[in-house]
Amino acid sequence: MAILTLETATFQERSTSLKRFIVKDAVFKNLTFAAALLVLSILFGVFLSLIIGAWPAFQTFGLEFLTSQSWNPVTEKFGALAPIYGTIVTSLIAMGIAVPVGIGIAIFITELCPPSLRKPIAIAIELLAGIPSIIYGIWGLFVFAPFLQSHVQPAIISLFSGVPFLNDLFAGPPYGIGMFTAGLILAIMVIPFISSISRDVFETTPSVLKESTYALGATTWEVIWNVVLPYSRAGVLGGVMLGLGRALGETMAVTFVIGNAHKIAASIMAPGTTISATIANEFTEAVGDLYTSALIALGFILFVITFIVLAIARYMLSRLEVKTR
Amino acid sequence: MNALTVRATQDMPNTREKVAIRDLSFFYGENKALHNIDLTAYERQVSALIGPSGCGKSTLLRVLNRIYALYPNQRAEGEVWLDGENILDNSQDVNLLRAKVGMVFQKPTPFPMSIYENIAFGVRLYENLNRSEMDERVERALTRAALWDEVKDRLGTSALGLSGGQQQRLCIARTIAVKPEVILLDEPTSALDPISTAKVEQLIDELKRDFTIVIVTHNMQQAARVADRTAFFYLGKLIEEGPTSQMFSNPKDRRTLDYITGRFG
Repeated sequence: MAILTLETATFQERSTSLKRFIVKDAVFKNLTFAAALLVLSILFGVFLSLIIGAWPAFQTFGLEFLTSQSWNPVTEKFGALAPIYGTIVTSLIAMGIAVPVGIGIAIFITELCPPSLRKPIAIAIELLAGIPSIIYGIWGLFVFAPFLQSHVQPAIISLFSGVPFLNDLFAGPPYGIGMFTAGLILAIMVIPFISSISRDVFETTPSVLKESTYALGATTWEVIWNVVLPYSRAGVLGGVMLGLGRALGETMAVTFVIGNAHKIAASIMAPGTTISATIANEFTEAVGDLYTSALIALGFILFVITFIVLAIARYMLSRLEVKTR
Repeated sequence: MNALTVRATQDMPNTREKVAIRDLSFFYGENKALHNIDLTAYERQVSALIGPSGCGKSTLLRVLNRIYALYPNQRAEGEVWLDGENILDNSQDVNLLRAKVGMVFQKPTPFPMSIYENIAFGVRLYENLNRSEMDERVERALTRAALWDEVKDRLGTSALGLSGGQQQRLCIARTIAVKPEVILLDEPTSALDPISTAKVEQLIDELKRDFTIVIVTHNMQQAARVADRTAFFYLGKLIEEGPTSQMFSNPKDRRTLDYITGRFG
């Protein structure tokens, strides 16, 4: 009899605690769902307010907003081509430098570096990622740009002066500031992203896979090139896209060194502007609804470009996954 | 010549020493994993290394192609002679050595590329073949590994889509495609089902016509089925070595008897 009551009590206990769990579960589930919903609604809200804010500019200029490079606040003629061009070119320069260097650093750390050096280099790279962009900006303006102006750019300009096409791409005069400098600064800022993500994915390469490549008589280079890189390409691509996202949107450092000129020059040494630099520079001076609207429209375009880059990255990743399965 | 060698040559005429391990000790950092091993693998024979986990049999295998040298805190002392050359000598080029001494691992390790490329990759490291020569080499390697019929219609597809047993045979094909002289097998069937295991064992029997094979196995029946000679390891020491039939029917050491009758390990 005693045993029976004991059992009943346990059963009752269990069912009450079960009820408590059910309530807790429901609360927890709804909280997390609300958090997820919040992200979606913020994204949608930003998108919506960008469209509403940009609407007057798009209505006034139509498609010409994307194809014109005139930017005249006095006559209120606005075209976004120069900032779009500057954004894309500086990002391309940055990625052209940062991708090989960043991946190279990651390869060195994971495969070639003596173990005692591994930690210091890894920490240095993390620190590089932690430097605020304003510091890159003042360093770029006061130290890096004058250095480029007096030492690097004259050499590059004279080097390519006789070569067709390249002589236009690297035409003088050496201002120091400009798209080339902005691209270099962006590269420095993006390298830590690419190298630390690449390092993480390289480390996921199973050591048996590397051993079996070595066991065929492959050299370290052949193992890295044929096994480690293909094995981790999806992750590396993710790191590269993250870096590209940062390069496209980076504002402060670029604003300092790009020169803020609303024109498209053939030479990448010339001053230019980017979308984010234009917005940051001109928002305080934007008088009149159309001027403000044009700046918001620029923001909307940056939003779309970033979105397209992410979509392409997703698509490439999904294709890679299909291939390697 | 020591006593074991003399007996072996009496048992099986026309055999030649291919790999001669002399007074070999191995260290993981401070930890001594192999104690003064003396062992010989004969040309075109299968030598099995058996023993309980942690006895050093895989470690010994990893010395024979110096794969251990990838890790800075591992080191070997002693001599390992391959065709009259001491492979532990610093002047030995490890890449050339590994092209000569192939290895198949416990888990199948196909490269993340197509079936064809998995085989062609290793060949390309040391030979410059034209397209038709390479096609022929790939086909021969796959045929010898008893895999050709199963994959000939999908050579261009990823090797990761093969079953575990097929992947392991692909790894064997990849190893024999570079024409090694010695093949090291590190528990090659422990991750496979019985049918795939039977196929791989049959393959080992075929391959010993051309290659010297050293196999590490947990499975004593497997050693009894495939090996000409068997060596029993315990706690980093070589306890006993001899022709497989003698090792299983009439072992000299008490510990060998206990192990092969399943009393421990």
